[in-house]
Amino acid sequence: MAGLEPRVEYLESFRCPLGGLAAGKPRVLCHGAEIFVSTGSEFVYVYDQEGRLLTAVYRFPGQVWHLELWAPRRLLYVLCAQKGIYCLSLDQASRSVNQGDGDDRGSEDGQPPCAAVPVHPDACLLPDDTLCTFTVVDDMLVTLAQGPARWKVQLSDCPCPGEDARPRGQIGEVELSTSSPLAGAPGEPTAPHILPVLCCVSPPGSSALQGRTRGSRGCLLEQALFGLLFGVDASLLESPVILCGLPDGQLCCVVLKTLVTSRLSPGDPKALVKILHHLEEPVVFIGALKTESLAEDAEDTHPDCLVALGHGGRILAIKASWDEAGTLVPELREYQLPGPVLCAACGGGGRVYHSTPSELCVADLARGRASDRGPGGLPSLLCPAGLGICSVVTLSVSCEVPEGGARLLALSARGRLMTCSLDLSSEMPCPTRAAVADTGQKIKELLSGIGTVSERVSSLKKAVDQRNKALTCLNEAMNVSCVLLASREGPRPISCTTTTAWSRLQPQDMLTATCRLENNSGLSLDRGWALCVQVLTSTPASDTDVAGSATTYTIPVDRLGPGDRREVTLPLGPGEDGALDLPLTVSCALHYSLREVVGGALAPSESFKDPFLDECPPDVLPEQDGICLPLSKHTVDMLQCLRFPGLATPHTQPSGLLGPVSDSVDTFLGSLGPRSEPAGPASLRAKFLPPSVATIRVSAELLRAALGDSHTGTSLGCATLQWLLAENTALDVVRSRRLSSVQGVAPDGTDLHLTIREVAVTHLCTAGPMQTVEIQVESSSLASLCSAHHAVIGRLQRMVVEQAAQSSSPPDLRVQYLRQIHINHETLLREVQALRDRLCTEDEASSCGTAERLLQVYAQLRSPSLLLL
Amino acid sequence: MSHQTPLGSSVPHASCLDLWREKNDQLVRQAKVAQDSRLSLRRQQLAQDALEGFRGLLHSLRGLPAAVPVLPLELTITCNFITLRASLAQGFTEDQAQDIQQGLERVLETQEQLGPRLECGLRGLWDSVLHYSSLLLELLPALHHLAGLQAALWLSTDCLGDLTFLLQTLNGNQNEASRNLLRLLKTWSPPAEETNAPLTLQDARGLRNVLLTASAFRQGLQELITGSLPRALSSLREAASGLCPRPVLVQVYTALGTCLRKMGNPQRALLYLVAALKGGSTWGPPLLEASRLYQQLGNTAAELESLELLVEALNVTHSSEAPQLLIEVELLLPRLHPASPLHCGTQSQAKYLLASRCLQVGRAEDAAEHYLDLLALVLDGLESKFSPPPSPTGPCIPEVFLEAAAALIQASRAQDALTVCEELLSRTSSLLPKMPQLWEDARKGTKESPHCPSWVSATYLLQGQAWVQLGAQKEAISEFSRCLELLFRATPKDKERGPASNGEKGCVSDMTLQQLRAAALISRGLQWVASGQDTKALQDFLLSVQMCPGNQDASFHLLQTLRRMDRRDEATALWWRLEAQTKLPQENAAWSLPLYLETYLGWIRFPDRETLLEEFQTSLPEPCDL
Repeated sequence: MAGLEPRVEYLESFRCPLGGLAAGKPRVLCHGAEIFVSTGSEFVYVYDQEGRLLTAVYRFPGQVWHLELWAPRRLLYVLCAQKGIYCLSLDQASRSVNQGDGDDRGSEDGQPPCAAVPVHPDACLLPDDTLCTFTVVDDMLVTLAQGPARWKVQLSDCPCPGEDARPRGQIGEVELSTSSPLAGAPGEPTAPHILPVLCCVSPPGSSALQGRTRGSRGCLLEQALFGLLFGVDASLLESPVILCGLPDGQLCCVVLKTLVTSRLSPGDPKALVKILHHLEEPVVFIGALKTESLAEDAEDTHPDCLVALGHGGRILAIKASWDEAGTLVPELREYQLPGPVLCAACGGGGRVYHSTPSELCVADLARGRASDRGPGGLPSLLCPAGLGICSVVTLSVSCEVPEGGARLLALSARGRLMTCSLDLSSEMPCPTRAAVADTGQKIKELLSGIGTVSERVSSLKKAVDQRNKALTCLNEAMNVSCVLLASREGPRPISCTTTTAWSRLQPQDMLTATCRLENNSGLSLDRGWALCVQVLTSTPASDTDVAGSATTYTIPVDRLGPGDRREVTLPLGPGEDGALDLPLTVSCALHYSLREVVGGALAPSESFKDPFLDECPPDVLPEQDGICLPLSKHTVDMLQCLRFPGLATPHTQPSGLLGPVSDSVDTFLGSLGPRSEPAGPASLRAKFLPPSVATIRVSAELLRAALGDSHTGTSLGCATLQWLLAENTALDVVRSRRLSSVQGVAPDGTDLHLTIREVAVTHLCTAGPMQTVEIQVESSSLASLCSAHHAVIGRLQRMVVEQAAQSSSPPDLRVQYLRQIHINHETLLREVQALRDRLCTEDEASSCGTAERLLQVYAQLRSPSLLLL
Repeated sequence: MSHQTPLGSSVPHASCLDLWREKNDQLVRQAKVAQDSRLSLRRQQLAQDALEGFRGLLHSLRGLPAAVPVLPLELTITCNFITLRASLAQGFTEDQAQDIQQGLERVLETQEQLGPRLECGLRGLWDSVLHYSSLLLELLPALHHLAGLQAALWLSTDCLGDLTFLLQTLNGNQNEASRNLLRLLKTWSPPAEETNAPLTLQDARGLRNVLLTASAFRQGLQELITGSLPRALSSLREAASGLCPRPVLVQVYTALGTCLRKMGNPQRALLYLVAALKGGSTWGPPLLEASRLYQQLGNTAAELESLELLVEALNVTHSSEAPQLLIEVELLLPRLHPASPLHCGTQSQAKYLLASRCLQVGRAEDAAEHYLDLLALVLDGLESKFSPPPSPTGPCIPEVFLEAAAALIQASRAQDALTVCEELLSRTSSLLPKMPQLWEDARKGTKESPHCPSWVSATYLLQGQAWVQLGAQKEAISEFSRCLELLFRATPKDKERGPASNGEKGCVSDMTLQQLRAAALISRGLQWVASGQDTKALQDFLLSVQMCPGNQDASFHLLQTLRRMDRRDEATALWWRLEAQTKLPQENAAWSLPLYLETYLGWIRFPDRETLLEEFQTSLPEPCDL
């Protein structure tokens, strides 16, 4: 069959989204000379084959998922996603077109050639947002709805449009016993990737299907197979049977006449639903075929083979046959066709057409039968033959040409409607027809062949381009990673520095961190790179069990060429409650998203979008789909956040940044009348309790060594204060005024006093009094005091560690005295532990006393002043 | 704790709050307009729109950090959303559970207690939320409302343990010992809503009343099914005393009727059934129950009349009232199981019941008419909305045909019976083994014989009997022979095939097969007797006695034939055996045969056993006792 040459004729082009139409939702229906097309958007087009033009365009309120035509009354039933089923009477509708209802709103998304007629909401027959597909049987509507855990088959009367007043007559309902979870995350109703399919099958005598057009999805089935599959009851009742092919691969059936239920006699799924088979991949097509060609022209032969086609290309064929003893037995056979299958259709003479992204193929279930097996059997092998047409997303066998040919209506992924005429009877690879007479025809065929090929080439080219681009991006990312990882020592070519400052942009003062990303390398950071800043709060002092929380900000680095820099300012706090848990840690890292860059290229080229692979192949990219390169880590402590309203001088400094905001109105009001004291507990404490104090003593020698020559010209006290406030915005003022003591305000508004003085310690050193620097922190708020103390200790610790490397010999110490201090501290610590334990178990009344005692001990612990040497 | 306040936007809380509230009130009003709308489509659309509105509103509220002043409104909107959604979908789903969970998490968010508690599931969430909310009085009304919805959800999904726990917590654990659901529901009193609260579709108190009725009814039904009747009676009375819509009241009264009937109070049961019939337009369940009651009382005429009325009632497609856009009692009731006393089936099922009861009580004419009606209903198109008996215990369609044929024969309409049998065979011909080939094989006796469903042989049997009635002996004998051939060949494969051959599951049992064979043999034997071929008759009767020793009729026929043929010794031996058997207590038929077979066996019953035995005894020579 290699030489099958279809005559392809393009009829019309429809608007299609970028990347082409996705399979599964577009539909093509043919009725007489009219073709009904939906491309999966909200439009339904009517094309007239004789006049070769679009005669009408209907605009529905949602995406159209399915079309059915009920020919006898010329009604078009349309399923709108998340809306329900609409019904259009074609006769009435065409009148309204002629009236020239010119509501052309298609301009924003590519104009349909003639005015789109919006469909009135009243045309909705069955408003139901869970419907996935439906079919029309006689004047009944069979719908398949997606329930919370199960699929529901519903049977309802199908009222004609205009008969609105009558209530929606649901006749029956049954749940399909599927246990596998449906596609889509719980909660949000998401559209399923692959819609289920319904097929109505009737026994030959049934009145149900008379008057239906061929090409719609209902079909007759030979009596023996029908009875075998659906049981004696169904064939005695001559009842149509609904076959459901579900996305989980189940193929089940419901005998329609038994599906009459009500609230007082609900349908029992066990009795009503029968599972025929499990295809183990989503079912995309169900149809019936005639494989016996013995009496081909006889009117009373009916399809004798049921086929179900899975998305991956697995096809199931069921036939009835007789075993040796003469008993009727079903013959089931599975074959594998190339996948993924976009759409399929059954033709005459046992032919199944199915379309994959690369080719439209035809497989013949009637072929090779004689050679393989006795009469009635199915072939042992199925050899699909390609027709040279790619990416057909929906297909309809329009009408059979008598001598073994066929005419297909197809819609390509590019939105082109075409007819393909096949001459399947000619087995010769190259038809030897009278050359001269056919030349014109042949040229036409060649041209349309070129059209198909060019469409295919362009889609392949696009895929290649995408991949090249992705590779380039990956290469760059690789270089950047190498550069960053190689330079562990010294300044990094790509660096990130963090500074903090108070900003007054908000209604409330806000401490902000500014991260400056500098690219000093020769490479540029392109699409896919993002700067991740993680702000990690410390644990509040009160409960140490709870880990501090982290907030991560991700800022895409759009393009950062060599030498460029970018600044990002982030709010750190305080939050609404005014609290700012210090210290904070700000870590910066560069993140490279593989998904963003490579994802698109790895998906099969977009024009043949496979609904299952919509979001990138899961097996190729791991969950953590990126590269993370840490850049810097910065700790924000109390000393950086202190503000010094006392230092503000109106003419030299923008006053706001040194002190917390004070509204001029408030100031004004405050100056009038008696000063109203703020009533918070903090201010009360400030008023009535003595401020808490903490002191730290450091040997002057150590400090001098650490500060090096930066303190020349000033006293050691001033230098120490400058060193402590090095990262504070007030450093300049402190330096210029040579202060050794400052009065500051903590972020929560409490005051904080920092005093540096030089004192001599006598007992410690054998060689006489020792010069030390005493750092005293004083605050009315215990919390602020603690953070400040913590910050000072932190810096000193860092300094000591640095100095330890190049340490000079310590002076002679009186070890006895040191030990005494140590022992004192240990007893105090033990008491602290005991008190804290008691605090946990005691009730409120007595815990007050304990807490008080605890505070005292803490104060003692802080005040005897540890000496750092 | 992340301090992420929206940059550069100071939210004017007061005005936004008012705006959202206004939107909520407007949506509630819209839903009420939808409720009152007579056009069902318009109603559905309005309600869908309102639902979307609530969803959008909730979406925007949840975009902001949770705050105590906004929470009551947010929770109320959540409640309205859940109520509307559940009533539109006519049931609760997992989605609603998630909506509730989100609402609770938002409450905890203000307390900054999220995190470790998430693992305890909804139950744990409720525990901590209610614990916390005792501090925040302004949240209480909305939380009780949400708790009512949670209770409805747990009731409809049968999570009674969780439900009891929730109610105990809501009641403040005052009576921890009490695990009685109804008592807990009664003690629960949701706080009254403030006058200026945002509008709700259904308030917490209304919800509580619905819950009370629904759980009383559920409990009563459950107890009725498990057989603890006095408790069922009290629960059902509780349900009947509550406010409930009419269709539910009819069901409750019917269940009360069933309960009282089972307790042996038919008169009081009847009163409830009458009340149920007066109560509303759903007449099915009370009528079916009435027929059961009359059957128990032995009042056949009234029983059949009830069944006739039932058929009529089910024919009326009662205009189903559009359900309220509220959580209603119906929503919380379990799906009716076919075994439930309230399950009344479809019209055709009722028709079948009527027809078969007529046949059983011997009203052959009526039975025949009803069966013909039923078959017409079956074979008609879809318009008549037929549903065959789908229950696994009911007969399959071929058996309905056979019963119809039997009823026709019983009513002396043999010709019609033949038509029905032919119809059955023709409609299933393509499914049957190829008959000519079958006869061929049978004659040769070489090949393994094909499987053939037992109802095919039964059809031949009935056809034979019809011919008997028409006086066509030859045809009758040939049908009986056909039947016997099939019956004897069919056995070996019956068991191995099992479920594969559907449509006759449960139709065939060993006993049925034995009795079928005996019936066919006796029938043929009787024809031989009628044509004076006693030896052939004797052979058939002998065989039937061997095939089915339990069938005494075969022995009597055999005895009479032996006597007529004057084979005294064999006859005497048989007589002794029969005498011994008749003196034994008659073992009641523990098996149940298909109705058509029961009827058939009635036709070939030996007319006067006692007389034969006595006559034979007198003819016996006295010296027997020697």
